[in-house]
Amino acid sequence: MKKNKSVLLSVPYMLWMLAFTLIPLCVVGYYALTDPDTGAFSLGNLQDLSMYLPVLGQSVLYSLISSLICLLLGYPVAYYIAHRGPVAQKILYMLVMLPMCMSFLLRTLAWVGLLQDTGIINNILDAIGIGRLQLIRTPGAVVLGMVYNYLPYMILPLYSTLVKMDDRLIEAAEDLGCTPLQTFGRVILPLSVPGILSGITMVFVPAVSTFYISQKLGGTDTVLIGDLIERLFKQGDNPNLGAALSLVLMLLVFVCTGIMNRFGGDEEGGVVI
Amino acid sequence: MKKANRILTILMFVFLYIPMVVLIVASFNTGKDITQFEGFTLKQYTELFRDEDLLGLLGNSILIALLSTAISVTFGTLAAVGIHRLKPKMRKLVMSLTNIPMTNPDIVTGVSLSLLFVFVGTGLLGNRESLNFGTLLIAHVTFGLPYVILNVMPKLQQMNPALTDAAMDLGCTPVQAFFKVIIHEIMPGIVSGGIMAFTMSLDDFVISYFVTGSDFVTLPVEIYTYTKKPIQPKVYAMFTLLFLLIAVLMVGMNLLQIRADRKKDSKRPESRGWRIAKRCVAGALVVALIVGGGFLFFGNRQEKIILNVKNWGMNMADGTDGTLDIIAAFEEKYPNIKVNMSYYESNEALYSQLKNGGITVDVIIPSDYMIDRMIKEGMLEKLNFDNIPNFRYVDEEPFKNQNSYDPTNEYSVPYTWGTVGILYNSKYVDEADVTGWELMWNENYAGKILMIDNSRDAMGIAQYLLGYDVNTMDKAQLQACADKLAQQRPLVQQYVMDQIYSTMENEEAWIAAYYAGDCMLMMENNPDLRFYLPEHQGFNRFTDAMCIPTCCKEKEAAELFINFLCDPEISGANMDYICYASPISEAKQYMEDYLAESDIIYPSKEVLAKGTAYRYLSEETSRFVEGLYQNATKTVDASGPDNGWIVPAVLIVVMAGTMVLLIVTRKRRKL
Repeated sequence: MKKNKSVLLSVPYMLWMLAFTLIPLCVVGYYALTDPDTGAFSLGNLQDLSMYLPVLGQSVLYSLISSLICLLLGYPVAYYIAHRGPVAQKILYMLVMLPMCMSFLLRTLAWVGLLQDTGIINNILDAIGIGRLQLIRTPGAVVLGMVYNYLPYMILPLYSTLVKMDDRLIEAAEDLGCTPLQTFGRVILPLSVPGILSGITMVFVPAVSTFYISQKLGGTDTVLIGDLIERLFKQGDNPNLGAALSLVLMLLVFVCTGIMNRFGGDEEGGVVI
Repeated sequence: MKKANRILTILMFVFLYIPMVVLIVASFNTGKDITQFEGFTLKQYTELFRDEDLLGLLGNSILIALLSTAISVTFGTLAAVGIHRLKPKMRKLVMSLTNIPMTNPDIVTGVSLSLLFVFVGTGLLGNRESLNFGTLLIAHVTFGLPYVILNVMPKLQQMNPALTDAAMDLGCTPVQAFFKVIIHEIMPGIVSGGIMAFTMSLDDFVISYFVTGSDFVTLPVEIYTYTKKPIQPKVYAMFTLLFLLIAVLMVGMNLLQIRADRKKDSKRPESRGWRIAKRCVAGALVVALIVGGGFLFFGNRQEKIILNVKNWGMNMADGTDGTLDIIAAFEEKYPNIKVNMSYYESNEALYSQLKNGGITVDVIIPSDYMIDRMIKEGMLEKLNFDNIPNFRYVDEEPFKNQNSYDPTNEYSVPYTWGTVGILYNSKYVDEADVTGWELMWNENYAGKILMIDNSRDAMGIAQYLLGYDVNTMDKAQLQACADKLAQQRPLVQQYVMDQIYSTMENEEAWIAAYYAGDCMLMMENNPDLRFYLPEHQGFNRFTDAMCIPTCCKEKEAAELFINFLCDPEISGANMDYICYASPISEAKQYMEDYLAESDIIYPSKEVLAKGTAYRYLSEETSRFVEGLYQNATKTVDASGPDNGWIVPAVLIVVMAGTMVLLIVTRKRRKL
């Protein structure tokens, strides 16, 4: 009796989520498949997308590179934090969290001030006689912006996997004659796969869809798919094409996370920091 | 190995914190530029606390974060209890629904919600203002809910189910059991979910940016428009204070946590006094936040008529540098009206915002060709000139007579006029190169050129360079212009509108095409800048005029506002700040002499005769031009195959491939 009643509690939630997540996606699909002028069904928007393929490729490439760099940087850091004492762990964890709570627009803007031709780094380089370098408006600057903004998203899930790891397993491996490298390759790394996968997803998804980072740190050749969507909606007066691009972006992300979850053996619960 | 790890960790923290240090240092800077520290001051902080608008925006952000968190926490906790009792298959389905906003990119969530709200609100229900506070709240609840659910569910699963049974055996009703037993068990999950939802909502930019209406704007969305205009240093001061606040909160929470852990270890029960004190502090915090947010929110919201004005950035005197604060003067004259100003970057952006719908706007200031388009598409209201007696001050020639955009003078009242020319830095640019529009294509200055970022002006520059008519509808000519722009792209540093200010003033770029008035303003801040009008090739001469769009709510107040701006004295004071030419000759006597006599602002009749005005072409041509422009400037080299079916085909293949992959791997797991 009681059981049936409390199940009902989930019904309003399901309706809410249907109304505000699934149905909006259908509306995006509807816009993507209609002609902007006549409002009739058309595949024209999808056809037009082919000229944006290089942009799509570029977005995926940059965000993959960023995810990889985040992994390479984040793993040792997460490992280090996970092996501190409880108090030090809390403090370090907090220090990783703190930047995430601050406005990412302003933090990215600070990078503009650092990197631009007349910026802080170049002023220093100039003063010590190296001369000014082209730092901003390069693909490198965009990747740097992505790494900077999303590195905490990599460290936190890695940390929570590493901290849960049973130290006795590592001791056992060492007792059985593994070199540190072997211990890492055969025990630690395989055990941290779930953390790695969720970290990569959490970096890749926001990176592939960003528009602010590439607008501020990129040049005229580092257009990303997020830029295009933003422009088509806010300036270009073609929401239908924008909807089609959003659809592609969404599919891309779902395919990636779908594959990740499948191979990561993720059960229900999903990604939680 | 360990040492290497430690060094790497330290470096990583340096990397994470350097930009924040830069911002904090900038908040104490006397200068405006983030890269040059000129001297220590606390001025930005006092200015911040005097800026009601900025504090109001912060209040808005806190209010929406609190409301959406409160709703998500209550709604989400109840839902989690329900989901927990569902059959496993059903539960899995609901959880994948929950995961959609978590895995979907923010921009897609934002776009999809805004399309939904406009589609349902305006399309089906006929509500003009379908993007408003309510929809913003819905959006924030929607992305906050999953955080609550995903944090509460594990706690419910860990809970011993016998606990509930025990409570009910002891005579509790299910509701009592929930409040006396379950809620205590899952409290940590509720709290951490609530904190996540709160911080996500407080700092959310992308989703809010797409679903925000004109009546309620949050801080991050406003900061985005700030970062396009020259940013005001008081924003850095606010950043510093927020940083300190959050740091203190986090440290405090951690200290409490560490203390609690120690207590647990020593197994001493918490003293009653301590427990009460803790609750009091938490309660006081929540009350303070709600009262503070509510005060900031409602403080600005007395029973006043809200007049929504959409204007170009830096296009109305706001009181800085000793100019007249026009809005304040207007509000003083009409105390029952509150002006709510928001900005657009180009005519096309304005058109797009109005066309997408969902917002109310009372006054807009588009340029000539866009006014023509809006009149033809029925987007403008006819003005009641009984309320705008100051229209008589507007010059007969060329504004009332023979104007190209509103020949019957029914829809618009001119605000400013001007020309588009080239701004260059004489320190770096050789005068011999300043020969015409081809300067914008000069390879010697590659990477130092800023191109104007809207289709009409950019195409216009190419048209003047190539000697075509700027109002041509000939597709071959338009295509040639687009090719010219594509050819320019490798040389261009950025396509910008308002961002031009900071970039030209600090000499990050050396050459830019822009509006004369703004160029004049920049020249005041950097004496090396020069303005050049390519007379022999032709240039654009534009008129910006005030109009009332059909999505207005306060037409009469809008007309009062338009009338106010046509007062010669006000117009003159306004031009002192924005440096444009006034369509009211009488205003000249109220302007600074050097502006009224400047031939950049008021070119001679002979020069002006060489300029041309843009006219509205046709909807089809407009869309064609927009497409050409976007493709020429906003794609990576599109040298790929010219086959339109690639994307649909690839989409289908990828989807089918994933399906197969998922099914195959699932089967293997079952075996």
